[in-house]
Amino acid sequence: MKRRLPRLRSQNLANASALAVAAAVMLVPANLLPVLTTHSAGQDRTDTIFSGTVQLWRSDLWLIAAIVFTASIIIPVLKLAGLGWLLFTARRRSLRHSRRLTQLYSALDFIGRWSMLDVFLVAFLSGLVRFGALSSVEPRMGIVAFATAVVLTVLATQAFDPRVLWREAPATAAPFDLPP
Amino acid sequence: MSSSPAPLTCRLCGQEHQPIPLAPGERACCVRCDTVLASRPRLGPDAAAAFTVTGLILALPAMLLPFVTATKLGHDRTSLLFTSAAGFWDHGMRLLAIWVALCGGIVPLALLVTLAGLLLPGIFGWPPVKPRLLWPAAHALGHWAMPEVQVLAVLVALMKLGRLAHITIGPGFWCYGAMSFALLFAWRSFDLTTLAPAPPPDLVPAAPASLP
Repeated sequence: MKRRLPRLRSQNLANASALAVAAAVMLVPANLLPVLTTHSAGQDRTDTIFSGTVQLWRSDLWLIAAIVFTASIIIPVLKLAGLGWLLFTARRRSLRHSRRLTQLYSALDFIGRWSMLDVFLVAFLSGLVRFGALSSVEPRMGIVAFATAVVLTVLATQAFDPRVLWREAPATAAPFDLPP
Repeated sequence: MSSSPAPLTCRLCGQEHQPIPLAPGERACCVRCDTVLASRPRLGPDAAAAFTVTGLILALPAMLLPFVTATKLGHDRTSLLFTSAAGFWDHGMRLLAIWVALCGGIVPLALLVTLAGLLLPGIFGWPPVKPRLLWPAAHALGHWAMPEVQVLAVLVALMKLGRLAHITIGPGFWCYGAMSFALLFAWRSFDLTTLAPAPPPDLVPAAPASLP
């Protein structure tokens, strides 16, 4: 039976690793720099991603705070940790648990987009709240770093070829014969 | 010479499978990694096209009608879909503004147009429009079309703004929300994993796997 074996592209692993490391680096300023400044009633308030979430929590918007915390803090960290684990295991000679690792890859591919929540949130607020001296919202550089980190994690996931997780696994005998 | 359809290769693990017919609502999973390889829409073969056309019809009012109106001390400000991008653009974050406009508005619309280009010719009996170009385009656009994330972001923002200004949700937002759902359902009814739309029963590919 003639089979097309997955091509193992070490270059893909290198690309995915580089993108994942760049995303991890960008997450540092993304979480330390302010993402938003709110001017209201003569008072200014500058928030990072975390302090903005805490503010939502203190305003009794618990569900919203949980959504923002999950999308902006938990998902990027989980995604990078999962991607790191996949890249680490893919470089080893013998691979076990290929099925679970592939499911992990699918999950990472699915959840990545939800990290864009905070970017859309800041964009919407800064576009709408423009009442001059009364009230306004300004985006700050932290949101640029955060958006860059999100894009880099999505690109890293796409650069990773999950077929490398199966390079040592024998092809499962499928109940059919392909024509010669 | 055999007339068997071409083998179906799992995009995640490379395992090959022989195509077999699927009943409506059935999914075929890879025997090795359990990834869904093919599915036959429960709503029928035209569902993806119907959702795509619905999404395209909703896209125009979503982009032109007011999204949200905020009122503070007698001052009104109305936003449209692309006002979000303008928020970044006006503060000098132009690349980010373009990115937000792409992911929230332009790419979802481009994906709907691509799906229409793939699905409608089959329904109306027209010659296919460059499927070799449109399939990878749909795959690529699917990664970056994020209207559902923008809908959630706007809902979060509205909760946050409730104490800062009086908020009125406009028809543009409802159309945009409905467009996102239409795109989501079109995408789910659309069998991208096989690199082909849900084909007729005698050609529907399936893995030699369990059919949940």
